[in-house]
This record gives sequence, structure tokens and C-alpha cells, in this order.
Amino acid sequence: MHDAHASRAGETSVPLTASAVLVNKVGLHARPSVKLTQCAKRFAAKIELALSGDGPWTDAKSPVKVMRVKAPQGATLHFRVTGPDGEVALAAVLALVHDGFGEA
Amino acid sequence: MNSQDRGNVGIVIVSHSPKIAEGAADMVRQMVGNAVPLAWTGGDVDGGLGTNVAGILEAIEAAWSPSGVAVLVDLGGAETNSEMAVEMLAEDRRARVVVCNAPVVEGAVIAATESSGGSSLAAVKRSAEEFYA
Amino acid sequence: MSLDRASREELVRALAEAVIQHADELTGLDQAIGDGDHGLNMKRGFEAVLATLPGLADKALPEMLKSIGMTLVMKVGGASGPLVGTFFMELGKALPEQPTRAEFVAAADMAINAVKARGRSEAGQKTLLDVLVPVQAVLAAGGDARAIAMEAAQAADRTTPMLAIRGRASFLGERSIGHMDPGSRSVSLLIGAAAKVLEFEARL
Repeated sequence: MHDAHASRAGETSVPLTASAVLVNKVGLHARPSVKLTQCAKRFAAKIELALSGDGPWTDAKSPVKVMRVKAPQGATLHFRVTGPDGEVALAAVLALVHDGFGEA
Repeated sequence: MNSQDRGNVGIVIVSHSPKIAEGAADMVRQMVGNAVPLAWTGGDVDGGLGTNVAGILEAIEAAWSPSGVAVLVDLGGAETNSEMAVEMLAEDRRARVVVCNAPVVEGAVIAATESSGGSSLAAVKRSAEEFYA
Repeated sequence: MSLDRASREELVRALAEAVIQHADELTGLDQAIGDGDHGLNMKRGFEAVLATLPGLADKALPEMLKSIGMTLVMKVGGASGPLVGTFFMELGKALPEQPTRAEFVAAADMAINAVKARGRSEAGQKTLLDVLVPVQAVLAAGGDARAIAMEAAQAADRTTPMLAIRGRASFLGERSIGHMDPGSRSVSLLIGAAAKVLEFEARL
């Protein structure tokens, strides 16, 4: 359900962006927030998320900040990723959202 | 963020109630997983509500990591007793244990989440304390 | 000030009895503005101290005080264990075996500062410091044991109208006014007991 054409400008300093819809029942609640930040922390890239394509952007590696986003089921999460492993990082967080964080 | 080679920061949960401490630890295990050394303690030496320094020292020992240990506490005496326990540790360990100014349940989950990503003790503490920021 | 073994044991027993005999009163005070476990906690701590006799009194005064402090820290719990325990431990650390009065004043000063640091607190916040600090002033000014005991009792009374800023009682805000601080009462009992022993022996 995400934007298949993640915008890409070639250079790592230019952010990659993509979005995905929250499919799991509780949305971006406590447990999904933990899973998302844990996933984001595996990468060196700067990973941010927002409820709108133009922000405000939240550090996806901060569990407290991610929990405060409070996005419900059906909301669209926008990601903005910068860094050498940005592409893999973006794929990983999108996959996690698509899988409903492994929840119903 | 170079703590990976030394293991993840340990988390200790200290509550006046052993049930709260254990329950918070259960939540951490379920939400964050087993990649973080974790221990809890609660109750006074007679098993009533309260905290005790010996129990806190044991919990710090059980959750020990060369990367350090973050302690989450509930009310007044839990904090004072935890600080006392930290001071009673061997000198080389004392600097690697911090008491976080964060709510005990949320702070424990956040601290463990931060730790599970290999963050330093300072980063774990900072993240847990964002709750009151 | 020189205490022989018998006097040291007498001192320990007097301190413990003062707290144990007033455990119900201390609990009553704590039920008004705290969580009601102060009397029980202190009683447990001093019973544990008594259990270390007679070996405890074999130790020299500084070692004996450190040992009492450690027992209180490990057994009392609550915030009082670390606070009262720290006072005894630091007093023991700072005292020579046969202190002069000036050395005792200096050691008490260090112990009070350690309590302030442990509780991140100052006098005036309805805590045991509201007894320790004024008693220390009387001690430093050369007051005798009787004057010290009297100041301790009066200082505890003076915590009644105070507003709690630190500790559990601070959650009550203005409702903490009108009740004596249990920790202050405990410390005044301890000082009163110590003064009595030391006065009788004419050692202070």
C-alpha cells in the first residue's frame, strides 16, 4: 500500500521518501512504536516519520517521540530517510508497517 | 553508540510493590524482547510495600552489563534507596549505573527499547527522561 | 569524648529503645502525612541493630557508628533508611576514635551535609534536617547535653506548622501543615536518648 515510486535523487544527502498506511488495529500505539524504533535503530540512516508529506517530522529512532505521534489505523505514515543505508532502511520500515507490526 | 561489543545497557525496575515491578518487567519483555539484561525488585525486607537497598543491589548485579545499567524507580524512597545502592557499588561500577527521572513503567519500556538498539547508557537515560521533558 | 565498651553498648541500647518504644507514635505521625510505615521501618532497623550486639559494642566508636548506619540502610527501607543510615555512616567516617568536642562538631557537620546531599534537601522543608541543623547549632555553640536534648524536642515540634516540600508528605501540599514530621520526631528521639546517656556519663 505504499508509494511504489520512492522518490530518489541519486545522492545520499537527498532524502528518500515513501509512505504506507497503518493496517494494524491499534495504529501506531505503544507496542508498534517500540517495534518501529527498534527497526529504525538498526540503520545508520536518519529516519523520520510524519502524518503528512510536508511534516512535521519525527525522529523514528526516538521511542518517546514516535509514541507521541499517536496515529490511528488507516492513517498514512510518511517516511523521510537520509544516509548511506537509506534505501534498505526505508524498505525495512515500510515492510514493518505493511505487516501491521506483526499484529492483527 | 559503540556499546554493541560490550552488550546492551541493563535495565533495573524498582517499585514499592513487587507486583508493579514484576508487571513492568513483563511488559518490557513482551514489548521489547530478550536482548536487554533486565531485573526487577520491590518490597521492603519483610515483604511489605517498600524498597530495600539489598534487593536493589541484587537487581543491579542481575542486570549488569559492561555498558552500564539504567534504574527506573517509582516514588520517593525507591529513588533514595536506589541512589544509596549505587553509592555502595564498587567504584568502577558506580559510574556506570544511573537512576532515571522517568515514570517507572513507561520509562522502563522506553529505556529498554533504546538499549535494545545498542544505545549508550547516556542515550538510554536521555530517552527515558524525555517523558518528563 | 571517650566511651568504653559498656557505654557504647548502653548508647546503642538507648538509641534502639527510644525508637522501638515510640514505634506506634511514629507510625501514627506517618499515617497523617506519609504512608504510615515509618514507625515499623525504624523499629525493624533498630531491632536489627540490637541483633548485632554484643559484637557491635566491641568495635571502636567510628566503626560502631558505620556499622549501625549500614544496618539501618539495609533494613529500614523507605526514604528514612538511607537518610538516617547515611547520618550514622558519615558520622562514623568523620570521627576519630576519641573525638574532642570540636572534632565531634566537625564530624556532625559532615554527616549533616551528607544527609542534605542524599535527600537533595535543606532545612525548612519539614524533614529530619529541621532537627539536625538546629541541634548542630546548639552543639557548635557549646550547649550541654540537656540543652541539646531540649533543642531536639523543640525542633521536632517546630516542624508541625511547616509545609512539606520534600518526601512523600510533599504530595499533600498544604495538608501537610499541622502534623509533626515523623522523621524529625525519630531523630529527636535518637538525639534525646544519646544526650541522656552521654550526659549521665558526663562525657560530652
